[in-house]
Amino acid sequence: MTVTVKDLPGLDCGVCGFRTCESLAEHLPADPELLKRCIYYSDPQEPGTPNVAARPLARAACGVCAAASPSKGTTPWQDSLGREFDFYLDHFPEEPGPREIILPHNPILTRELNVQPGDILIGRPLGMSCGCPITHCGMVMQADHRTGVIVWCVTGPLRPRQEGFKDLGYYIAEGYEGLVRKRRCDLKIGMRYFFQPTMCMLQWRHSGLVNYLNRTPDALQIRVEGLWIG
Amino acid sequence: MGVRRIYLDNAATTPLDPRVVEAMHPHLDGVFGNPSSLHREGREARESLDRARGQVAALLNADPGEIVFTASGTESDNQALTGIIGALGAHGNHVITSSIEHPAVLETCRSLERRGVEVTYLSCDSEGLIDPDELAGVFRPTTRLVSVMTANNVVGTVQPINELARIAHDHGVPFHTDAVQAAGRIPINVRTQPIDLLSLAAHKIHGPKGVGALFVRTGIPISPIIHGGGQERGLRSATENLAGIAGFGRAAEIARAEMSGEAVRLVKLRDRIIETVAALVPNAYLIGHRHRRLPGHVCLGFAGMEGESIRLLLALDKAGIAVSTGSACSAYRGNQPSHVLQAMGFDPVRARGSLRVTMGRFNTDADVEALLRALPEKIMDLRPIATYPSTQIDKGV
Repeated sequence: MTVTVKDLPGLDCGVCGFRTCESLAEHLPADPELLKRCIYYSDPQEPGTPNVAARPLARAACGVCAAASPSKGTTPWQDSLGREFDFYLDHFPEEPGPREIILPHNPILTRELNVQPGDILIGRPLGMSCGCPITHCGMVMQADHRTGVIVWCVTGPLRPRQEGFKDLGYYIAEGYEGLVRKRRCDLKIGMRYFFQPTMCMLQWRHSGLVNYLNRTPDALQIRVEGLWIG
Repeated sequence: MGVRRIYLDNAATTPLDPRVVEAMHPHLDGVFGNPSSLHREGREARESLDRARGQVAALLNADPGEIVFTASGTESDNQALTGIIGALGAHGNHVITSSIEHPAVLETCRSLERRGVEVTYLSCDSEGLIDPDELAGVFRPTTRLVSVMTANNVVGTVQPINELARIAHDHGVPFHTDAVQAAGRIPINVRTQPIDLLSLAAHKIHGPKGVGALFVRTGIPISPIIHGGGQERGLRSATENLAGIAGFGRAAEIARAEMSGEAVRLVKLRDRIIETVAALVPNAYLIGHRHRRLPGHVCLGFAGMEGESIRLLLALDKAGIAVSTGSACSAYRGNQPSHVLQAMGFDPVRARGSLRVTMGRFNTDADVEALLRALPEKIMDLRPIATYPSTQIDKGV
């Protein structure tokens, strides 16, 4: 099919990269692929005209959640990969995000970077901790310069962007502390459970050993160590 | 002296054009009247309001009487969806939208669902395109509105709006489009395009924040969501934000006059980024459609380094270059994966790892060259989740 300037929309909009439709038409014989650059040509005026944008399979509309994440679990006790867990771990409401106990892969960094409460850090939890592929950002609550252990609250990327940061590179996630408001079974110290950190962006279940429990009227305060994803 | 900043996040917002500031100035210092007043001060203000309405209407080739000024693109979306359903009563009615809309539409739909409205969310393909065939298959006798965005804010893909709108009309259903990213960047002509409602915002076209507009085709039944003194044809009561509206009018006028020249220039810059990154960064892949995208919009992924997108953004920010890892409107949501990328079939790790570079009127070749100098080096500094042999890089989804 030969496309001439008459077939083009005549808008001279420049979105194809050429100043005018005429100019695009002049280049088409040498490079017919250029036609794909016209967003209006591929959006035909007449019904039934072949449309490069159209896809043949009409999929049943299934709601945004199912469309967004086909593997998402169907019950509240499944993670985004359909795996079961026993409780949701929420963060303390008075804190800026989930509280984690972490150790830089090189613990001396805590001293070398002079990590102090209130500092903003970034790093990724590598290897024999939770192994998450995502770089985390957070605010330091405590820093132990003797052991290198840092307690921080994980936040989004806005704080480091606005306030600057210290870069840990890799770290080990040693433990989580938070509140359990929703659980499907009784929890005991010394037992390992699968759980879902509420703020985990991937909504992947984690597992860990419960080594502290305190029942309060509102929720169960908990500490979990020995963390793995999955 | 600080490093010169290079702003490449024009999909989030754009810097004010000095010509827009000039148009706003009389309304910040002098012309203060209420356009509804009958005295000279009021008439002066009314004149400015009418002029701006004409300027915004011209951007869409609409009649000035079809333009309703609002406080934002988000309000325009809320007004369109809630207003159409409000005119009919919520219960039992059905709305069709897409799963990649801006939260201004998606959250309004959720709110409508709580009021008894049924909503169908269309899926999209891996390039972010809505399938007209899918739309054609989901109409019900109770369908009252179809709302699909003209161009996506996260990936830049431009939808086949004419075809989607025509399908809606074939079923006797009005069509709304959120054109906040598209208006002023690609041509829109509501006289030739079967669009019944269209949302736009001033601050995406080098105008001020806090002002938007909704095009409502004459004859479309719609209820107000803000009640009061009956301004804006009774659809948006409140004394008008005149300085903002005057700025919006001027911004629309400039965008209309300069759109085609700007498109050619921005497509050149956009394609230079896409092609250079592809050549210099072996694990880079383009997200969204190669050609059906906004002129100044680039969305990139880096295979194996998706989890490092925050670090990349921070490194570029430190080097004086402002880019985005997705929509600014979701930046406060604890860094969640993008609902748009997930709908495009990206797994949650990849859906978190895009780098959005969006250019506007004040970006130059030098800005792009600076980005292209910095980007490969910053990517080399990242810590990939795995070391991919270059031949086995999985760039698809």
